[in-house]
This record gives sequence, structure tokens and C-alpha cells, in this order.
Amino acid sequence: MPDCTVVVITYNDAARLPRAVRSVLDQTLRGLEVVISDDASTDDTPRVAQALMRADPRVRYVRRQVNSGGCGAPRNDGLDAALSPYVMFLDSDDTLPRHACKSMLAEIERTGADFVSGQISRLYEPSGKTERYYPQLFGKRRVVEGIREEPELFLDCFSTNKLFDVSFLRRNALHFPEDIHYEDHVFGAEMYCAARRFAVVPWVVYHWRRSREHMSISMSIKEMDNVRHRVEAARRSDATLRAHGFGDLVPDRQYRFVRQDLRVYLNPLPSHDLVWAEEFVSVVRPYLREVSDEVIDRMDPMVRVCCHLILAGRAEELAVAARSLNAPQPPPREAVTHEGRTYWGGTPAPGLDITALRMAELPYSASRLRHEVVALATEGTRLRMRVRTYDPFAVLTEWTAFLRCGPLTVPLHPLLSPGGGLVSEVTLDLAKVRGSCHPSIGFTRPDGLTTTDAVLADPGMEPFDLGHLRVRAEGTAGQLRVSPRTTPRVVLSRVKRRVLRRVSTPRLKLKAYKTLIKVLPPREDLALFEADCGNGYTGSPRAVYEEVRRRGLPVDAVWSVARGRAGFPSDVPLVRRGSWRYIWTMARAGVWVDSHGFPLDYPKPHGTRYLQTWHGQGIKSIGFDAPDLRADLPGPREQWRAAVARWDALISPSAEFSRYFVPALGYEGPVLRYGTPRCDALVRGEPPEGVRERLEIPRGRRVLLYAPTYRDSAKSSGRSVRVNLQELAEAVSDEWVVILRTHPVERYKVPQHLRHFVRPAGSYPEINDLILVSDALLTDYSSVMCDYAVTGKPMLFFIDDWDEYRLSERGVNTDLPAIAPGPCVTTVAELVACLRDLPSVHASFAAKYAAARRLWCEEERGDAAARVVADFFGAPPAVPAPEQSQLRRAS
Amino acid sequence: MSGTVVFACLDADTLGGIQQVTHTLAQGLAGRGHEVHVVGLRRAEDPFRYVARPRYLRHVISGSPRSSVFERMRAGRLLARIEPGFAVLTSPGVVTRLSGLLPARTRTIGQYHGSYQHARICSHLGSIRRHYCGLDQAVFLSEDDAWLFSEHALLPNVWSLPNPLQSWPAGQAELTATRVLGVGRLAGVKRFDRLVSAFAKASAPPWELHLIGDGPEEPRLRAWARQEGVADRVVFRGRVDAGAMEREYLGASIVALSSEHEGLPLVLMEAAAHGLPSVAFDVSGGVRSIGGLLAPPGDVPALAERLAALMESAGERRRQGAAARARAEAFRMEPVLDRWEELFAHMTR
Repeated sequence: MPDCTVVVITYNDAARLPRAVRSVLDQTLRGLEVVISDDASTDDTPRVAQALMRADPRVRYVRRQVNSGGCGAPRNDGLDAALSPYVMFLDSDDTLPRHACKSMLAEIERTGADFVSGQISRLYEPSGKTERYYPQLFGKRRVVEGIREEPELFLDCFSTNKLFDVSFLRRNALHFPEDIHYEDHVFGAEMYCAARRFAVVPWVVYHWRRSREHMSISMSIKEMDNVRHRVEAARRSDATLRAHGFGDLVPDRQYRFVRQDLRVYLNPLPSHDLVWAEEFVSVVRPYLREVSDEVIDRMDPMVRVCCHLILAGRAEELAVAARSLNAPQPPPREAVTHEGRTYWGGTPAPGLDITALRMAELPYSASRLRHEVVALATEGTRLRMRVRTYDPFAVLTEWTAFLRCGPLTVPLHPLLSPGGGLVSEVTLDLAKVRGSCHPSIGFTRPDGLTTTDAVLADPGMEPFDLGHLRVRAEGTAGQLRVSPRTTPRVVLSRVKRRVLRRVSTPRLKLKAYKTLIKVLPPREDLALFEADCGNGYTGSPRAVYEEVRRRGLPVDAVWSVARGRAGFPSDVPLVRRGSWRYIWTMARAGVWVDSHGFPLDYPKPHGTRYLQTWHGQGIKSIGFDAPDLRADLPGPREQWRAAVARWDALISPSAEFSRYFVPALGYEGPVLRYGTPRCDALVRGEPPEGVRERLEIPRGRRVLLYAPTYRDSAKSSGRSVRVNLQELAEAVSDEWVVILRTHPVERYKVPQHLRHFVRPAGSYPEINDLILVSDALLTDYSSVMCDYAVTGKPMLFFIDDWDEYRLSERGVNTDLPAIAPGPCVTTVAELVACLRDLPSVHASFAAKYAAARRLWCEEERGDAAARVVADFFGAPPAVPAPEQSQLRRAS
Repeated sequence: MSGTVVFACLDADTLGGIQQVTHTLAQGLAGRGHEVHVVGLRRAEDPFRYVARPRYLRHVISGSPRSSVFERMRAGRLLARIEPGFAVLTSPGVVTRLSGLLPARTRTIGQYHGSYQHARICSHLGSIRRHYCGLDQAVFLSEDDAWLFSEHALLPNVWSLPNPLQSWPAGQAELTATRVLGVGRLAGVKRFDRLVSAFAKASAPPWELHLIGDGPEEPRLRAWARQEGVADRVVFRGRVDAGAMEREYLGASIVALSSEHEGLPLVLMEAAAHGLPSVAFDVSGGVRSIGGLLAPPGDVPALAERLAALMESAGERRRQGAAARARAEAFRMEPVLDRWEELFAHMTR
């Protein structure tokens, strides 16, 4: 007896059926059978099925006499024909990944579950991209003792991503309804009612293939039929739950309807015409009326607005609102504020409350405008548009406007329109546009701040070609997009790029470099500067560079810049980090100055002098004690040792740094003990001009600089931002603004609803500016605490993961809570309490603060750069020289 | 069922944990009637003979210790000739090098001898995520590790198999000596500094800590022992031959392990087989499966506390030692070979 039956249902799909069947026959589980269940196809299917049967005895074929019009009947046929104890269902246009059957078989045998459910992955055939369906539902591998334990799983009502115990299905007489599409919604409800325990696995068990025709938006009448069927399926599912004594879960099942089923039609609704929208409203409204308010209240504000508009029968406005559901999530055309709440549209109503989006309180540069193309014409390579701009939150008072499309920027002259908003006419000559871009419109205020937003075209617009470009409305919101067509020229440049990428491998570059440094002597008067791996013009290298410039030393300087970084001075040559020119410069420069480490594998040319400024001190473990060098592999440690051996001088800001960091880094050469060049600006303490304005800090609001360090196991994840900013905003946003400085290796996007309170500054070029304009620092374990101590301003420490960080995540060299120059808190409530009472809290830490300053910044006198330059560059001192060179060996 | 089994290592004859396990298993499976081959992709610079009279065949692909351009070609030819029923690829490096070279009918097994926690901090997790789901089975050292890889690398094909103990000692430690044993290379990852600190916190004379093994950290560790005030009671014993380890286990009362990362540490398995109680950081599913008194990772005071509990009470040592020996039964050759054959059976379902 086979272990598992896979029922492959098919109808007039002879072309793809063999692919589906083969994906089953190629499973790692050999002991299985395939039942092809044919819903009376009229094409070549019988012959194809016969051929498959001949080729493999594990294939069987059953066929209906009359087409059923759905998936339910053929699935039931296949289920009745199944000979094995377990069954799976597959559609003939989809496929199973190789391990699907065996992995779920092993899981159901291990757990004794009624069925096992796995992750579905949508596979977009033209691009080959995959996208998992609600991955958060499948994240944990687990056994669920009945649906009551996790009613969110109503979102997973597929029958195709599951392996069922056949006796469970037969015992409960579970069958698919045959008179309805979305038969698996109803089946799913019955299945969840009947199952006492089921298992969930996190890996992909089903490839739901979406071919090109699936993705085009068809405005067929059939789709309206689908809406009816979906609503009917929802009704029947609710009835099923009630009949089986699960009436209390009806709201959870309805939540699924609003969150998933309704969205399937709301998303493309803006590309349908008004007649369709009206019919949609009339079909959905009766069921939505049955849905309890608490279900709708659980939804996101814009979904709530759409529900409200459906209930009110306002189809035309529904199309406007539905466009805001998806990227770029444009603002409403119109909004009103009433008694402190913000409402979608012209009149306040409870269902239209969008206050939670906090769109009305955004800083100007992040504020939202809605630009809709109302007319569009082409002329040669020229695109003529009339654009209507809506300013729902009245942020525009005085401005100049422009439209940007890739490298092209043209001025706009919007006029107030009697129909509301502003209307501008614009003509773009796209002949010079090469890559792809999303055109956007910007409004610049007299103070220089600009707000930009995407341009929306009619989402139903057919794409059209304009010279070498293709213009289309992207996504369900219809964001205008211009992209190159696949012309020979484009293909050629793509090939060129690919060849270059093949040739310019890091290995080849390293080889070329090693040859270069053998034959070329470095130039003594050429210095290569790099800060934070090229990520900015900042840190101690900047301070050293500026000092070198100030003294007019005969040194040609070149700065290394990472791809896409800006903010470097215009009078200095730049080389892109990792490029061929960068490698040339590394080989030629007689002086290297950097704060993190030039590419580790690159040996230093003979005769080059390397000044390592390092980029911080503090409590973290570092170098050989850091996790990346603690792995059970010798490679990285050897690489690091060789890289450190290149240093000719290391700046040590304090005795503490010399005690712990220098040996931990494995460095044994000369150490410069003059303080930290980058802290000179902090010692001088001149508040930088225009920074508050640039960051749009409202007058009178105090500034909290929040600078968490990264977590080694979760770089680029955003998880280092551990303070619940929403909670913090609710408590203190009337008094404070947060500048969020995430670590350079971290990625975190501040959600729009927090932008009124949080200013993202992860990529702000100079952290000293942020330190100087802030009123207090909030950090966890970042080295910024040591620099900040120079200012004497209050510090707070949010260390809710201290034990984890200290013991397993990173490791530390100092017991932070014992020496912290400010309160260590673990909850937002404590943090709020400290902020409300900051002066006295700060005063109570005066002794510890003084001790911390002695520990970290005793040598900061504001002349570190000068003394370092005097010593390292051997330059005539501009300030009285120390009595003797402080170049000395690390103890 | 007896299919041909091929074990493939980067280099099969260097002195190391993976190689030790591979040769032990090869000999064991050959003893059960399987045709077994051990393939090294490169020649070992300093070959070590693990099995005196192997019942399996050995092959070396490349004559040089470095990687060569012909490596893939030669490996492909050899594997096509052997046509293995099962190919055991012993590390992520071997999996990437041999991918696509194995005959279609061969069932592939990818092993990983580290823990999930270790894979996560280096390139291994990415490599496993990309390549191991293309294999027939991905095999890890413990249930917990297999589980974590199934969740975080989305592997559908995980399985767990412990490494076997090479031999089963007849005698058991008497547990009366005042000696704590630490065994391993004196390398950063082993974090013997933490063990020294815990020992200093927990112990009083005449207890001694004997560190067996050598490595680059030795000078730092000696300095550390001085700083912790136990220089006179921490004995650096240097490297000890495998044959002489039996005596070391029998002459000790406690084994302690303070590594940052461990897969399934052989020292804990061997100690348990000798009836020795152990303390360790709870750093992996492998460590949990062999057990002992476990402290949260990196928590030196907690480790010291557990160490002290064993030092203070001979009764506790005996209780823990007996329990350890009972747990070690699962790692004996025969049950482990049974589990390998269960795996083969599962793979042929």
C-alpha cells in the first residue's frame, strides 16, 4: 500500500498536467500514488493521462462524465479513490516541492495529528520570484490542539498545502461542497471544527504557480461571480461553525473575510469602473452588515474606511479610498479634523476615523500629498500630463514645485483649481531618461525643505511605449512608472554589466592589487581617508583630514565613499569603495587613515603608513572577544590578525581603551594617546547651525537622541530598536522629539504613524551634529555613550535585554549597570518617569557621571586632531607641542 | 538492506573531530555488511590513521592539499564509478563542492557537525539554507538543532543522528580525586578563561583544574589563572594521546566545559561513558542531549555554583555520574548504527 495519495485535479489543462504529475513522481517519498481526477476535460487530457499511467504504474486516472464547474467534485472523486492512509490535493497548474510529501508524512506520524499544514509559496512564472503566503502563520513548527487555540489560522483555509489523515476525513464525512467556488473555505471551516489536533510546519510544501494571464487584471463579469461565491462561502462557513458549536469563533472567521477575502477585490477595485464598484458594494454589503463592529475595528484604518464606505453604499469614494491600501499608500484627497480627530473625506463619521495614521501631524518633508494624473498624451518622445494635486492636510502655503523623473527635473507651475486642489500641466521629454524611475512631484518651501510624493496614474491604464521607454501604472494604486523597453541597446548594456561583473571579481581585484604593490612604490604625499567603511564623511578620519587641510600640509587627500553615499566635501577627489580606482589608490597612497579597517584581505604596500583611528570605546566586547571572531573556525581570526598587523599607529582615547580594547584587538604597535579627534567638536560644543531646522524639530520641543547599537545575530533586521516608540510617543510626544540614530549595519524604517514623533537619522552624515543638538541621550550599549559623556548632558540606558546581550548575544567588558552615568531602565514606563523628572534624575547620577568622564574622556581637550596630526604627519605644531612624542608602546 | 555508502570529507585523514566520526562510522557500517567508501577531496598534509584495519575503501581526489581545478572532474568520475546508494557529505563545504556531481539515483545526506547557534554566527547558516534543502536529507547532531534548522533555514528534510562513541569503557571513575578536568584545544572558542573563573569562584584547595590540550590561548590563560589567584591549582597538561585519555577520565571527579560553541562535544560523551559527572554551558541541543549540570550560556557564577555543588558532595557526584553513564548508552556504537540504518530505511520509503 502506498503511504500517500496525491489527488491531482484537472480540467482542460493537458499542457501543464504532466508537470504537476512529475512533481509528485519526483518526490523524495517513493511509496505514493497519483490519482488524476479529470473534471470531464474536452482537450487532450485523457491521452496525456494515459501516457503518464503507462510511464509510471503509480499513476491512476479517474474521470467525471459531466463537468462539475468547480474544484470540489473532482477532489471528492480523487479522495474516494485514494488507497493510502494519507492524502494531499494538487491542482494541475501547480507543483509540489520535492520534500512535500515525505516531510509532512514524517510530521503526521510523529505528532499523530489529523492533518499537517505547511507554507504555500506563490511562484510568479515570468520572473521566477516566489512569495510566501502569510509567513508569520507558519513561522513556528508546532502542534495546535484545535482551532480555538489559534483562530488566526482561519487565514489558512487551503486544502492544497495539507496532508490529511484519510481516516480523519472519512470518520467525519468531510467532503468538499460541489456547488460553489471557494469550496475549500467551507471545507476548511468543517475541517477546523472536526480536528482535535493538527500540526503546522514552517517549510514550503506547495508551489502556487501564477502565470502571466493570472496576473493581468481582467474586468470580467466572471470576477463578480467570484465575489458572490466568496461571500456565499463565508456565509456557509459561519453557519458551519455555528452548527458545530464553534459560534464563538465566527468573529475570527469574519476577520479572515475582511482581512483577506475582501482585500482580494478591494486591491484591484480602483482599476474597475464605477458600475463594477457599485455592483461589488451591493454584493458585499449585506454580508458586511452581519460582521460585528469589533471585527472591523481590528482592521487598519484604511481598511476600516473602505468597510465603512461599502456599508454606506458610497462606491465612487470607495474607489478613491481603496487606492490608499497599497504602496505608495497615497493620502486621501480630502480630510477633516474635528475635536482633535482626523477623518477621511469631507465629513466626520466614526467609521472614517484615520487619526491613528497620524498623517495630519507629519513634519513637512514627510508630509503627504496626492498627485493624480487626470490627462495624459504623448508626442514623439514627449509625455504631456495634467496632474491634480490634493493637499488634504493643508501643508502647502508658499512653495516652488518640480517634477522629477530619473535624471530629469522640470519646474511645475500648479494653479489653484476650482475643482479643489492644484492643477499643473507638464511636458517631459524622456529622450534622455535611461534607467527606470517612478516620477515624483516635489514642493519646496522657502526654508529649503522639500516634500515629494509619487505620481499616480489611472490604475486601469494600459501600458504604452514612448521611444525606448515603457510607461505604465504600477500596482493597484497605479503609481506611474517609466522603464526601459528591452531594446538591443538595453540588452547590450546588460550583457556588458554581466561580463564586467564576471571579470571584476573580488578575487581578481585582490590579485591585481597584490601585483600592483609589488611594482609600484607608494606616493608619500598621497593619503587615502575612509570613515565607517566609506559610509560617510565623518568620525576621526574627518577630524584628522580637516586638521591636515587647516595646516595646509602638502598632502593630496582622497576620500573613499561607499556606493550611494553623499555629504562629502566638493573639493576633494572621491573613489568608490571596492572599485578599480579605489584599489589603485590603495596601492598608491603612502598614508592610510581610517576608522574601521580597509578591506581585510588587502596587505599594506611596503612603506605605507597606516593610522587607525578606531571608532569608539565602551562596554562591548570587541576584536577577538566579539562573536564573529569567536566561531569555531580559524579563518576569520587569522584574517583579523593580519589586518591589525598593518596598523602603524592606533589612537587610544583613554587609559580604559588601552586597558581593554588594545589587547582585545590584538594590537601591539604604537598607541597615540591624545584623546579622540572626532570628539574635538564636542569639546568645543558649538551648536551646529541649521540642524534643528533640517531635522524639523518643532520649536520648544526637547530632543532625545536614541542611538541603540546593533545585535550581532540580527543585523539589518530593525530589531535593535527595542523601545516601543508608539508607547513613548503617547506619553511624551508633546514635550519631546526623538532623533533615531540606528547603527550603520542596521535597517529600520520609521513607520509613518510615528514620524510625527521620530526623526530617522540612521544615515545622517555627522553624528556629532546630533549629539550637539540633543538634550539627552537614550542608548543601550552603544559606544556613543562615551562621546556623549564629553557634553555632560543627561544619558539614559534602555537595557531590557542586558542579560542576553551580556551572556550570549555579544558579551561585554564592563558591568554597565554598575557604572552607568544615568538610569538603566527596562520598560517604557520607567523611561517616561525618568524623562518627566530628568533634571533631578540626572543630578542624582552626578558622581557616576563624573567617574564615567574620568574613565572615558579625561584626555578630551579639543585638540586631539591637532596633536595626532603633529605626531603622525610630523607636521610643525600649530599649538604648543607636547614635551615629547607620545608615540609609545601599548602596555 | 545494504546499499553502497560513500562518506565525503574535505580532507579525510587530517586529525579532527569530523574525520574521527567519519572513520568510526565507516568501520561500523562496513561491519554491518555495507560497502563503504571514504573519499577525501584533498590530500591531508599530515595524515592520521584512524582505523588500523579498515574494512572500507579510501580514496583521495586531489594529490595536493590545496583545491584544484580538476577536483570536480575527478570527483565526478569517481562517484559515477562507485554509484553510491547513499552519499554522506560531511560539511557545508563538501555539499557545495559536490552539488550536481552525484549520480541521479544516489540519495544524498548532508551533515552539519556544529550547532544551530554556531551556524547562525558564521556563513554556515546561509550555506545550509541554500544548499541543504536540495539534498535528500539534512542531518544534525540533536533533535533541538534539527528543529531549529527546520524553522530558521526552512528545511523540510531534517533528521537527527548523534555521533557514536568509539569505544565503551569497562571501568568507571571512582570520583574520589579532587580533580576537575577540562579537555579541548586552548582556542578562543573554548573559553577556558570562563572555566578558570568559575573554578576560582567555586573551589578551595586541594581541588585542581587540569586542562588537557594545547593551543594559541595558553599564555593568555596562564595570565588569567594568575589574575584569578588559582595559578597554583590550574595545571596545563598539554596534549594527551587519545589512548591515554582513559586514565585521565578515570582519575578525575568532574568534567567541565565552558565553550562558546559546541555541537555534540565528544568530551562530555566520553566523560559520561566513564561515569563522570559534568558541568557545562547550555549552548546547543547536542550539549543538552548528553546532559550534565547545565548553566545558562556565559553565566560564569551559575557555572561556578554547579561546579561547587559537585565538589561539595561525593554522593551528588555518584548520582550524577551514574545518570550520565545511563544517558551515554544512547551514544554507543550499536544504537547509533541502528539509527543510521533507520535513516537509510526512511530515505528509501
